[in-house]
Amino acid sequence: MKRRVAIVGYKLMKNTRASEWTRERIYYELSKSLLEELEIKREDIDTFIFASNDFADGRTISEVYLVQRMGAYMRDESKVEQEALNACLYAWLRIQSGEYDTAMVGMASLSSSQFKPLLVQNHELDPVYERPRGLINFYSGAAFQARAYMERFKNFTESHIARYAEKGYRNALKNQYSLQIIPPSIEKIENSDPIYLPIRELEVAPYADGGGVVILASAEKAKKLTKKPVWIEGVGSAQDTYWIGERDLVKLDGLREAARRAYRMAGIKNPKKEISFAEVQTFFASEEPVIAEALGLFEEGSGAEVIEKGLSEIDGKIPVNPSGGSFGGNPMGGTSLIGLINAVKQLREEADDFQVKKAKRALVHSQDGVCAQHNTVMILSAGGKK
Amino acid sequence: MIHEAVEVLVPISFMYKNRVGRYLQHYLNGLKEKKILGSKCSGCGRVVVPPRSACGRCCGVMDELVELPQEGKLVNWTVCYVKLEGGEFKRIDPYIIGMIQLDGCDSLLSAKVLDLQPENVKIGMRVKALWKEETTGDYTDLVGFIPL
Repeated sequence: MKRRVAIVGYKLMKNTRASEWTRERIYYELSKSLLEELEIKREDIDTFIFASNDFADGRTISEVYLVQRMGAYMRDESKVEQEALNACLYAWLRIQSGEYDTAMVGMASLSSSQFKPLLVQNHELDPVYERPRGLINFYSGAAFQARAYMERFKNFTESHIARYAEKGYRNALKNQYSLQIIPPSIEKIENSDPIYLPIRELEVAPYADGGGVVILASAEKAKKLTKKPVWIEGVGSAQDTYWIGERDLVKLDGLREAARRAYRMAGIKNPKKEISFAEVQTFFASEEPVIAEALGLFEEGSGAEVIEKGLSEIDGKIPVNPSGGSFGGNPMGGTSLIGLINAVKQLREEADDFQVKKAKRALVHSQDGVCAQHNTVMILSAGGKK
Repeated sequence: MIHEAVEVLVPISFMYKNRVGRYLQHYLNGLKEKKILGSKCSGCGRVVVPPRSACGRCCGVMDELVELPQEGKLVNWTVCYVKLEGGEFKRIDPYIIGMIQLDGCDSLLSAKVLDLQPENVKIGMRVKALWKEETTGDYTDLVGFIPL
């Protein structure tokens, strides 16, 4: 890594079922209040990066209406179409280049009130084979993954999937920025309507409207802007094949590769000991053990034991999604920026009721595509070891 | 101050005419003759279905079309209870979708599995292709798979 880069500030909108603010206003309110908090002007931001999806926004090159709302008028500006964490990866790269010292990244997704997420997801599928056949989609993919995990590790049952969902809802209730859903009981979850068995309705993260912005800065700038910089120690990403029939859905090679790269950059040899907690992106409760194991946070096949013994709870060995993750609301396409912000909150000890004790180093994860085809992993630290 | 949000419905309608490409065209032509075609990689020798032009793993050209056996094993399965309609899930009579490994093929083929109840599913069980009587060169020619 040529330059040290820090996240110097964030603003998050509370997830909601129906935002009173338009997307334009979300960008405006969040970016303005963040600039004010850091006592800087929009001219102090070298580059602006939007994270959004044209299908979700319902217009092409969808940021054209938004640039002035985020303060990007006459400034360097671009957009990333993948999950929002990749916009942060891109901002980090631009600062790495030495040509930029500050970057603002923003997302606003109204996936509860403005568009139909299932329709958008369907358009992510291959148009000439998968879409006309109607068999493979995000939900059936998740079902195959869950089934494969249960088949490989026989002690993991449908009831365990419900327990992971229950943990998500329970943690999310402690997070004031979540949808504030009253956690359903494990029994209610495991008896909710089947969608693609073993996946049931309450085991799918609820869609939400949400928004967030962060500012990244080079080390020199970061020290001037905040007393609590959160340092990016490592970043990794990898693409797997599109075809789920050619992937080991339990092993998740693409995620392993992304994690390997991030760990190498951050100098992490043993993630089980060196990662304090993780904010991973799951759309289905069943994904959590698969992802946590591919990241090397827990032993392979330990999904049942981890949830039974509470090893990934807020006060557990390695808390996974102490914020509740997507179970606090899933503004499609932007949820990983919320994951990042929740990790920053932890490292700055601003996580209130879901604060993890001794949160020194965080792992943040995002995924795109059916069964996490594309994965990005970011390692953050509070003190900055390097 | 405005207290009530005014909403407008903004429909979008696009129609795309996608070419399926040479390889899927072969596959569809094969279905018409009640054959399942895959392609073999000239580099690493992997056989995949449906056929495609290039191998992601080794970048080899997959230009050898191979007719695959119509039997294989059920490797993975789910019970589908929904159908996507107008961007929402509508509940339907459940059916099984399987991931099937045809003999000699390295990738899995997704397909409906018929004549089978969820409680009788066993991973690894043998299945065979079920065809429409009159085939037309459409994906629906291959109705699904049934237990052997």
